[in-house]
Amino acid sequence: MRVLAYELRRLRGLRSTWLLLAAVLLCDAIAAAGLASRTPAGPLEAPAGVRLLTAALPLIPLPFAVFGAGLLGALSYGHEVRYPGLPASQVAYSRRVRLLLAKLLVVGSVAAVLALATLLLDAVAVHLALPRGVTVAAWADPAALSGQVSGALDTAGLSALGDLPAVFAPLGLVAGHGVPAALMVFVLLTVVAAWTGVLTASLTRSAVAGVLLLCALPSLLESGVALLLRGSGRPWSSRAAGPLPFRSGIEWAYGWVYGGAREAAAAGNAALTNPALLWAVATPAAVLLLVALLVQARRRAL
Amino acid sequence: MIQITGLTKVYRKGAPPAVLDLTFDARPGLVTVLLGDEGAGKSTALRLMLELERGQGVTLFGDRPYHRLRCPEREVGVLLPGPGDGPSMEAGHPGCKARSHLRMLAAAVGVPARRADELLEQTRLAGVAGQRLRAFSPGMHRRLALAAALLGDPGTLLLDAPTEGLSPRNVEWFHSFLRSFAVAGGTVLVTTRIPQEAAQFADRVVTLDRGRMVADQPVSEFCRTRLSPEVAVRGPQMARLADLLVSQGAKVRREGGAGLSVAGIGRTEIGELAYRHGIMLHELADRVVEQPAPRAVLPAASGRTGHLSLQSQAEAEPEQSTDRNADQHPDQHPGKPSERRPDKPSGRRPGRSFEAARRPAVPEPASEGRSRDDAAPPTRALPVASVTAVLPVLGTPAAQQEAPTPTVAVDRLFRDDPAPAATPAKAVEPTGAASAPAAPTPAKPPRRGEGAADLRTDDTVRLRRVGRSKAPATSATPTAPATSATSTPATPAPATPDDHRSE
Repeated sequence: MRVLAYELRRLRGLRSTWLLLAAVLLCDAIAAAGLASRTPAGPLEAPAGVRLLTAALPLIPLPFAVFGAGLLGALSYGHEVRYPGLPASQVAYSRRVRLLLAKLLVVGSVAAVLALATLLLDAVAVHLALPRGVTVAAWADPAALSGQVSGALDTAGLSALGDLPAVFAPLGLVAGHGVPAALMVFVLLTVVAAWTGVLTASLTRSAVAGVLLLCALPSLLESGVALLLRGSGRPWSSRAAGPLPFRSGIEWAYGWVYGGAREAAAAGNAALTNPALLWAVATPAAVLLLVALLVQARRRAL
Repeated sequence: MIQITGLTKVYRKGAPPAVLDLTFDARPGLVTVLLGDEGAGKSTALRLMLELERGQGVTLFGDRPYHRLRCPEREVGVLLPGPGDGPSMEAGHPGCKARSHLRMLAAAVGVPARRADELLEQTRLAGVAGQRLRAFSPGMHRRLALAAALLGDPGTLLLDAPTEGLSPRNVEWFHSFLRSFAVAGGTVLVTTRIPQEAAQFADRVVTLDRGRMVADQPVSEFCRTRLSPEVAVRGPQMARLADLLVSQGAKVRREGGAGLSVAGIGRTEIGELAYRHGIMLHELADRVVEQPAPRAVLPAASGRTGHLSLQSQAEAEPEQSTDRNADQHPDQHPGKPSERRPDKPSGRRPGRSFEAARRPAVPEPASEGRSRDDAAPPTRALPVASVTAVLPVLGTPAAQQEAPTPTVAVDRLFRDDPAPAATPAKAVEPTGAASAPAAPTPAKPPRRGEGAADLRTDDTVRLRRVGRSKAPATSATPTAPATSATSTPATPAPATPDDHRSE
């Protein structure tokens, strides 16, 4: 409990936390609005909608929210290394592990909140910035709604989202077929990124190195997996073998989100519970956690 | 109570050890200062105590090592230099406000935020509690770090160079704080580089030199032996010389029948003066033993154990007392000075080997010791005035200073074993000895008492053996070791060897 209180106080007491969160939200909204304003006219596809909502620019390695969460995590750990408040009290292994877990918990929940906030903000921004010709199918057409959303609407006694007041129009963006699942995966991805930030910073004992490692991780993992898969001759490897590992890294990291949405259009809500997806997202974080705990055992300070 | 036993740290195989077999106690009610040059191993020793570094040796806080303490912040307050070294040491993240920083740590320690505000008041930071740490001066950073160390209201403080690079005001504040903490019964262990500072607020001074403990003295002895820049002169025509010296503006004090202690004038000048006026001198020696005068004589490989320091201490003890007796008849060893002298200067020289240090080099001291004095940084040459100013403050009895040639005895002590180390007497309990630097330490430590007769006889046996092997040094005291072992002497120097715990 103490470490949780400590970590919360630490996060709250630093101006950089608030600046970082605000910057992420701002950049996210701007990028989403910019992307939305250039959407071609016509009905908005669900994967394209997800792209807009998460403000995934093709040029940066991670979406803003994911990157911001990772940065937050790395800074959280880097702070302990750079400015240890009571260095001597972290001598015992159990105390260090407790602090690490507290950090994961706090930073993870902050990251989840951050992801949800960006989604909310982006929905509004996208809604405002969408050109006139673009129509969001889920708003008017109940058939385009995802299963759970339509179920919820039924219990509320509504037939379609269009029955709601116009203020709720941005909801149409997030209620499309397969979109909620993809967005959930996005939130999960943000949390995992935050954890990864904490853990990479813990391994390198430096916030900067941790962030760099975090950015490099998708492409590193991707090329590693691609090398493995090439041996087994799976088709995915050929797709991943682009000229730039960077680009294919994006493909690997978010292909699940966007591809998942595309598949979900055909296969319903399977994306979220797809074991391969969960495995792919959770394994790196779990491996990192394990390594970090092992490395901590060798250390005397965080 | 901190019991430090056998701390040893070797960074690389084959490299000289950063800390070698450091053994001493920091007792409650006393400020114990770990004194040593840059790189002497003070910080390493402190980190070893906290187990922030891997090494050998055991440090017990109360009855358990640091990492076994149930709530270390509530028992031991630690102030380590932050990321920035020296004066740029930072207490926390520059973007943090002082109050939120301290409250955050209070949450980690598990004390209410009220305690943090209290400590801000106590460390005179309440006025700037709302400022960010990047606006803080080194002194404020250090005080904030001290406040953080005090959050859990610990009974023990471990501070690594808390006053380094601070303004005199802050240093003074730190001194008075630490003194009052110790007076209230707390245990304080502080490192410092400056002997004068150690003399100002320590009760006990443990001197480290290149990782080895070379002395463990109460502060009165420390001041007497290490901080009085005097020249001891001895010879048959002292009255004439004294007149000459006084006319030169020196302060002269008679010592016994044929001795003078001269302050305010250099040794070479005295020698020249005496030579020009045809005055014969039997002894002409600097008493300034400010910096690690004693040197670890034992070779590194010998792995100095408690036995050795135990023997030497107990042996040196009676020797000292007999020396005092002998000094009352100064003509007893008129020829000895030349043999005795070389030890001190050669001991000070860092690169000297053991054999070289032992070789009696008669012409050396005058020239070599002088040049060393010149080379010494000015800060170390403490003017007499300031010493005399410091001593009353410390409550050092003036008699201590005027005791007849105590330094001679100490010289010997150093020669026989440079880590003579008046090893700490265990017996001192918080109530009795709180801030009584010059008070004679209680004679019999409880450990010894419980160790009963076999320990005692053990000591006696060892002492006898050594006494025989070092015949010339202790020729006058064949029986003294035994008596000292059985009935621990009442000399002001702390008598009780505690090192049997490293056995």
